[in-house]
Amino acid sequence: MEDDYYSVESILAENQKIQCQFKIDIPDMGHLDGGNERDIKALSKIQIPMWMAYILIYSDYADFTIPLPFSARVRNALNAEARSVRLSGLVGQGGLWYGFGRMIMRLLNDIPAQEVSDVLTKTFRSRLPEVIDQAHHFAAASGSGGGAIGSDEATMAFREGLDGTERDLFMLAQENARRTKRWYETSEKARRS
Amino acid sequence: MALPPPLRTSVTPAELELIACEQLVDIIPLVAMERTAFISGAYGPLRPPAKCKVPIWMATNLKLKKKCHIVPPDWLNVDFLQDRLTRETSQPEFSELPFRFAEVAKVILDVASDDISNPEKVRSLLQDIREARQAKSRDGVSKLDHSELSLPNLCAMEINEIRPFFVRSMGVLTQLVRQPDPGRMDQME
Repeated sequence: MEDDYYSVESILAENQKIQCQFKIDIPDMGHLDGGNERDIKALSKIQIPMWMAYILIYSDYADFTIPLPFSARVRNALNAEARSVRLSGLVGQGGLWYGFGRMIMRLLNDIPAQEVSDVLTKTFRSRLPEVIDQAHHFAAASGSGGGAIGSDEATMAFREGLDGTERDLFMLAQENARRTKRWYETSEKARRS
Repeated sequence: MALPPPLRTSVTPAELELIACEQLVDIIPLVAMERTAFISGAYGPLRPPAKCKVPIWMATNLKLKKKCHIVPPDWLNVDFLQDRLTRETSQPEFSELPFRFAEVAKVILDVASDDISNPEKVRSLLQDIREARQAKSRDGVSKLDHSELSLPNLCAMEINEIRPFFVRSMGVLTQLVRQPDPGRMDQME
């Protein structure tokens, strides 16, 4: 989730496609659409990966529409209950919803950008406690021989719906909780004597 | 970085324990010893039955050889901890406790439980306090924002436990909050 040139995450998030509408004819580039046309005609709509879309949009060759993962429908769902939206389902394999959103936010100006930013931060903050809770829960469960915890469908769906960024946080929290718990539970008397 | 990944995010509980063991504690020695110089300083002389201040690591070492009794710190007893637990559960903020209480308490309970009155009760009180405080720091997660977080009276072990994901989440939030900087779009690519 950073701008680093070498950040694999940011490269993966750039692989997301957004829909662009071209404003001008572009010859010999029809293969971008995977289609049979030789040229890209003005006003045609094509899915373009993010990393290519930047230059097209900044050079004013094309306009883009807000992609599906940030559409009004998803926003409404997030507003209603952020924790029940499956973010990973919204953005394909890598599942970097936040990274993708941040790129969209940077492409936009003023009010729309602020809106996207608000959606992102609000979603992140309302989902974070649940992420941490479950991480702790799992750390505790794995220490004492697992058990039937986590079989609850709602929590399982939430875990499957974690976006890549949240998944990292989950692992961090889990690892640390586990380590602290281990320390609390082991008596070091044997080691000392 | 040469450190293995699990050690990069924060120090381990065992390391915190090591640091905490530099703190001084009162002991009642059972053997006599001249004042002796160690790397961290000179301690002693030990003259039974007079009390003496030594670091916890030395106290535990002597204790395990049955050469001293450890005098528990004034906060490590049932009355004090009971009082803190009541405050912890009745007030929204973290109650005041020694910064490294978790480490010190664990070490002393581990090696010198016979020097503490009612060690089982102390143990369960410490556990309760820990759980009450954990619940509070979990609530803190929802108040997280990208620039600051203030949780006064949090102690070393608790800070260490929540540090990695708090830092990371704040980092993420920083990225998600939009800076109202007009020059930004131009310098992007």
